[in-house]
Amino acid sequence: MSIALDQVTKRYQGVPVVNDVSLDIGDGEFFVLLGPSGSGKSTLLRAIAGLAGVDHGRVALHGRDVTHVSPRDRGVGLVFQNYALFRHMTVAENIEFALRVRRMKASERRQRRQEMLRLVSLEGMDNRLPAQLSGGQQQRVAVARALAHKPEVLLLDEPFGALDAKIREELRRTIRQVQRELGITTVLVTHDQEEAFAMADRIGVMNLGRLLEMDNPHELYSRPATRFVATFLGAANLLLAHQSKEGVRFGKTPVNAHPANPGHGGREHEVVAVVRPEEIEVAPTREALHARYLAHGAVEEVLFTGALERMRIRMDDAEAAPLSNSNGSGIPLLEVTRTQHEQRAFQVSPGQPVAIGVRRIHILPTPLSSFTACAPTELQAATLSQHPLLVELATRMKTRISTRVEPQLGVSGAGSEGDGAFAGTTVIAAEADVAQRTEWLLENGADEVLVLPQNATSPQRVLIHWAEESVRGATLAVSASVLRHVAAEATYVGIFPDQTAETQRPHGVRALLDARSEAQEVHGLEMRTELRFGDVASELARQLAEAPGQMLILGVCSMTGVAEKFGSLLADARWPVLIVHRTPEGVVA
Amino acid sequence: MRIKQPSVLPGFGLTFGFTTFFLCAIVLLPLAALVIVATSTTWHDFVHLVLSPRALGSYRLSFGASALAATINLVFGFVIAWTLTRYDFPGRKLIDALIDMPFALPTAVSGIALTTVFAQNGWIGRYLEPFGIKVAYTWIGVTVALTLIGMPFAVRSMQPALLEVQRDLEDAAETLGAGRFYVFRRIILPTVLPALLTGFTLAFARAVGEYGSVIFIAGNLPMKTEITPLLIVIRLEEFDYKGAAALGFVMLVISFVVLLTINLLQGWGRRRIIQAAH
Repeated sequence: MSIALDQVTKRYQGVPVVNDVSLDIGDGEFFVLLGPSGSGKSTLLRAIAGLAGVDHGRVALHGRDVTHVSPRDRGVGLVFQNYALFRHMTVAENIEFALRVRRMKASERRQRRQEMLRLVSLEGMDNRLPAQLSGGQQQRVAVARALAHKPEVLLLDEPFGALDAKIREELRRTIRQVQRELGITTVLVTHDQEEAFAMADRIGVMNLGRLLEMDNPHELYSRPATRFVATFLGAANLLLAHQSKEGVRFGKTPVNAHPANPGHGGREHEVVAVVRPEEIEVAPTREALHARYLAHGAVEEVLFTGALERMRIRMDDAEAAPLSNSNGSGIPLLEVTRTQHEQRAFQVSPGQPVAIGVRRIHILPTPLSSFTACAPTELQAATLSQHPLLVELATRMKTRISTRVEPQLGVSGAGSEGDGAFAGTTVIAAEADVAQRTEWLLENGADEVLVLPQNATSPQRVLIHWAEESVRGATLAVSASVLRHVAAEATYVGIFPDQTAETQRPHGVRALLDARSEAQEVHGLEMRTELRFGDVASELARQLAEAPGQMLILGVCSMTGVAEKFGSLLADARWPVLIVHRTPEGVVA
Repeated sequence: MRIKQPSVLPGFGLTFGFTTFFLCAIVLLPLAALVIVATSTTWHDFVHLVLSPRALGSYRLSFGASALAATINLVFGFVIAWTLTRYDFPGRKLIDALIDMPFALPTAVSGIALTTVFAQNGWIGRYLEPFGIKVAYTWIGVTVALTLIGMPFAVRSMQPALLEVQRDLEDAAETLGAGRFYVFRRIILPTVLPALLTGFTLAFARAVGEYGSVIFIAGNLPMKTEITPLLIVIRLEEFDYKGAAALGFVMLVISFVVLLTINLLQGWGRRRIIQAAH
């Protein structure tokens, strides 16, 4: 491995800007860190260069731990967005800077300089001053300067940011060529997904300080695991669907694809589907479609953009409509792009009714699909759906909040009066009988229940615990999904009874390590682990009370006894609790 | 001649006229009067006036102490400006405001205050006495006074330049393997050199013309601690206008030569950095 990061965390004034990032970059790999501004990607790059210290974790370059090594001894070359050339020195002096520092002989310096100038195609520019060069040429000099001392790693911090489109493309090609020729491990930071696609062997997408996913560009585009990656890499329609053994259903339309893998006790459950705009087909009638039928709709807007035609369609079945599209407008319309060829086959104009088909659907593995604010009266449900933390979560997850009235909520023995089964995450207020209500919801088929105290705010630390090992996977999946959308640190708390014998304790530690590696490998979630002994509920309550701004994610598999065991935790109006409930395999509810 | 409007603000004719008039009335006319009075004596008298031993002694002190004070301000002004721009610490704003105090204080007050502190029985003077160092009523005192009044000029002209030094430049140099001192010498210093020279020039110019604070701390012994401005005042009090004007003329010429040299140096340095790109 050329670059190995292990749980790197960097905080500014207590807030993690780089949050538990672990990453391995291979020899000669071109790795792109992609993310919006403020996602922590530049800070991570500076941590690799040694210009920003880390608060936690380790940085290794070529197997050498450099966490506490100064930048000048790390053997990296860094290129900045604003070139950062030494303006009082000529091109030659700039390129030779690192060689001069190393007291290389003048003749060797000259030779190396010529070599570098040839590499970036700037032969003969030796005696110019930076001010006499264009932006693109200056950045070439910066690249040559960064490579002159033969660093083992090249780091590029938004190197094309200040250049116009044409120069940018040219320089991209040069850099990629130089990188291949030298076989140097390279990390590029950018917020431009097109640039990432054009250059990367592998892309790592960052948001809110976390490294969400990494893979090759194609895999990341066609099979994203998170909503953020799905919508940040290109345009995407996110739709709520119901998945069962038969396939998926959008509103009332069943689509014969993606049957559910076991889990959820075989019951139908809500999922988030990604449909790329270019995977949608429109036709005058359902019969004329080549792809699988999705819905009917009316064309709202048609935009000609040269090679492609962009179109937005309002779907007739409101339940099947997309959550929101990546362009962020409030009205959920379906985004469609068509090639010239498709346009010629079937011309459309605004207002025209069309049949919509899908060629390819990708189901996100994320378990949190949507939120339902549930309360005994309509007014209470409406108030709850306006809760700031809930709105924040839903906005970040690009999902919707619906309301549901259950007059018998929490009344033992009474059934649900609401419409249909519970789907997604059910949200209830932390009121007096919250424990009974939670138990009631689980009995009536809710999979995830979020208990929200009135003044709960965005958490800074999320505690994770599961009561039984059988819900470990589900709890971790939910935790990973939550933590992608809040800038918080995750800690798994393993709790064993006080009387655990000394000989049993190593098992506890092993369980912790297993949990951590499963979180990392299966769910891409980096978390800390803590081992405690004592009563589960009181131990968790003690930890939660330690500091404000905490949240608990609790995995349970039997629905009875929740009130009795965790009632005290739920009723406390200081922290939000998300309960994840799964029936163990083979047990019929 | 066509004068192009150089900016969005109209009225170039008016402002240009005002600029020329103002410069003439306030700066050039009095200087011309000085030159005329000074040159109205015979050459022999003039040489005798400006090269008398007492006059020569005063030049040495005035320009020597001013150059020394400006050099001290160059070094310590840089340190102060660096501290104020690079570090954030409690009380930074207060110190920043204190820098300007010598601007606002009547110079006579500074002189009296310095004399109180540095006199043989003053707060600092009494501790220097046993070492045989006398500050008040010696050339050292003159230098101290000139340093004090020149300091804000040095700091204020260096501060903006230091603010503009990009941290990226230092980061780049560091990743290329340069140590701190190397970065300072090869990157930071060349970048802020023009501002340093400006700071030096302003502090020097201010020191040469200083009168109020020096006369209290200098003791004013002819040949030893008598600065040229004081000698001019003495000549005036003797109604020797020609003598005063001759001395003033010499100061004018020396100051002008020094300032011009520094300006030329600066211009040369700037041209080296921003050469026309064609």
